[in-house]
Amino acid sequence: MSGTVNELPRVAFFDFTSCEGCQLTVLDALQTHPELLKVVNIVEFREASSARSEDYQIAFIEGSCTRPGDEERLRKIRETAVYVIALGACAHLGGINAIRNRQPLLDVRQYVYGDKAEWYDTYPARAIDQVIQVDAVIPGCPIDRDEFVRVVTVLLQGRQPKLPDYPMCIECKLHENICVYERGQVCLGPITRAGCNAICPAYGYGCEGCRGLVSAPNMESFQEVLAQHGLSQAEIDEKLSLFLTNQTLLEKELVHG
Amino acid sequence: MSNLKTIPKTALNEWVQRLRRRFRVVGPRPKNGQFVFAEIETAVEMALDYPTTCMPPKKYLFPPQETLLRYHLDGSHIQAVIETEPTVIFGIHTCDVQATRLFDQIFSQGFADQHYRARREDIYLISIECMAPCTEHAYCHDMGTSHLPEAADLHLTDVGQMYVVHVNTPKGESLLADTLAEPFTADWQPIYDRVIAKKMEAFEKRLDFEVTELKELLRDGYSSPLWQDVGDDCLVCGMCTQVCPTCVCFNMEDEADLTQTEGQRTRTWDSCQATTFALVAGGHNFREARMARQRHRFMRKGKYMHDAYGLLGCVGCGRCGSTCLVNITPIKVLNALYQEQHAEQIESDVPEMELSYEDVTARSAGVAVDLHAGACENNGRTHPH
Repeated sequence: MSGTVNELPRVAFFDFTSCEGCQLTVLDALQTHPELLKVVNIVEFREASSARSEDYQIAFIEGSCTRPGDEERLRKIRETAVYVIALGACAHLGGINAIRNRQPLLDVRQYVYGDKAEWYDTYPARAIDQVIQVDAVIPGCPIDRDEFVRVVTVLLQGRQPKLPDYPMCIECKLHENICVYERGQVCLGPITRAGCNAICPAYGYGCEGCRGLVSAPNMESFQEVLAQHGLSQAEIDEKLSLFLTNQTLLEKELVHG
Repeated sequence: MSNLKTIPKTALNEWVQRLRRRFRVVGPRPKNGQFVFAEIETAVEMALDYPTTCMPPKKYLFPPQETLLRYHLDGSHIQAVIETEPTVIFGIHTCDVQATRLFDQIFSQGFADQHYRARREDIYLISIECMAPCTEHAYCHDMGTSHLPEAADLHLTDVGQMYVVHVNTPKGESLLADTLAEPFTADWQPIYDRVIAKKMEAFEKRLDFEVTELKELLRDGYSSPLWQDVGDDCLVCGMCTQVCPTCVCFNMEDEADLTQTEGQRTRTWDSCQATTFALVAGGHNFREARMARQRHRFMRKGKYMHDAYGLLGCVGCGRCGSTCLVNITPIKVLNALYQEQHAEQIESDVPEMELSYEDVTARSAGVAVDLHAGACENNGRTHPH
């Protein structure tokens, strides 16, 4: 697979509305897995290089689409790249940027930009696949570096990367963490896609759902569990909107008007 | 018939030290307010009076993830990976020993699993008698696993200053050789009997029926509306299968390295509660409903495994009930099923002739009801045979 740099698949990284923490994790992965540089040619990566390129096969996109102006840039990436991969919770779900989607947008803009609110043409935060077709997703806030390496490996084999599609509780049990609920707190583990090695519960903190919902979660029963553990409906909605606004609340609004 | 000995509690530490010269010794240890099986260096690290552990010691016999073979992608090299480490599991409860018996059956029947067999040969079990039910969800007494002094290689019963030791196998004998074990004299018998009698008083029956009725109960209850209620509640978090000492389903995957020169095949625990577990080619899912997945779990524990391996798939440890956030516990579900059937019997003068799913499949296929267990193997990644 490895060859001269010019023969290697050309990879580019792009960022939209995000903290760029996922790209920092990629940078970290390049240090722990330097062999990555033997199999790909990174032609654009703002975190590590000032090089720019309009010729690439694999595009990693961090961040969510939050402005009309983002759309054209996204479409251009889609036209150029063979594979487009959403990198991290913002690109995958809209991320924490989507918290604002629950509130009147003008209020949000005024809160952030004050009397300059009108100057900014920001709109509800969307996941990248709500704008262009995405071929694969690496979830998480930030991404898991081992998962990043796995996804790259599989992509280079021409296969579709497969994410775990079971809840985080399964991994949490393997680590023999004490259940966060037994410690009197709540945790989104039962509805959240695994793959993070249950890192938050391992450190005693409840899952916030940054990897998104697992397929077919039982939301109704889960919300009852949250209520039994003392959360009001407003607190439940808040809990489900840190990372999951676009997956839960908007869906609910669409369904229930 | 086991050979009886005694060993003073004061000798425990020395015994563990001697074992550690030959083995990795694992035992129940406290961790973050619960208990886990982990390696120990001294006997004092163990809490032998632990109620139960978060995860069963199954992880030593059947690791959550193991490499089965390694290969070069050009085909020049392919090698099975058999990794074992002589291990003593100290202080395993008898319910978990019973689960080990089931695993021995599962991995030996038909195509014997060389990875399991090699590991199993290197594992020595020292069980300990439970003196009281560990949790409100345990029903080992109903399942016949609360008192099995002859199941492990060695079995310890706490009789005060001493442990009475059942020496059951040559492996067990080898663990006791060169220790401070003393003979079990006739004086010990009444003391031992008294301890066991007192223990038995502490265990009450928690099921409304006999374990011998369990298979029929599940067979007749296959179409019960109760499963829908269970499915409505179930979070499909999969914790019940993770903590189960008898869950054995796994997934297999091949993974190549970044440079695509070497690869390995790994076996990872799977859960029948995951949505994708019964997903097959073409996007078909033959247990898409939560209700179907939970029912399958109960059927497998209480019926299918017995059909296939001659041992029940539940040992009554109660871990699944303790871990469930929506209180789906075997005691609750099975008793409700029993009461439902019992009530039906009283109500109806004429016996109902409605056929269960099981009757239909068994008749149409013209083979034994074991078909069920077979059906879920068809996606090639579930139950080992």
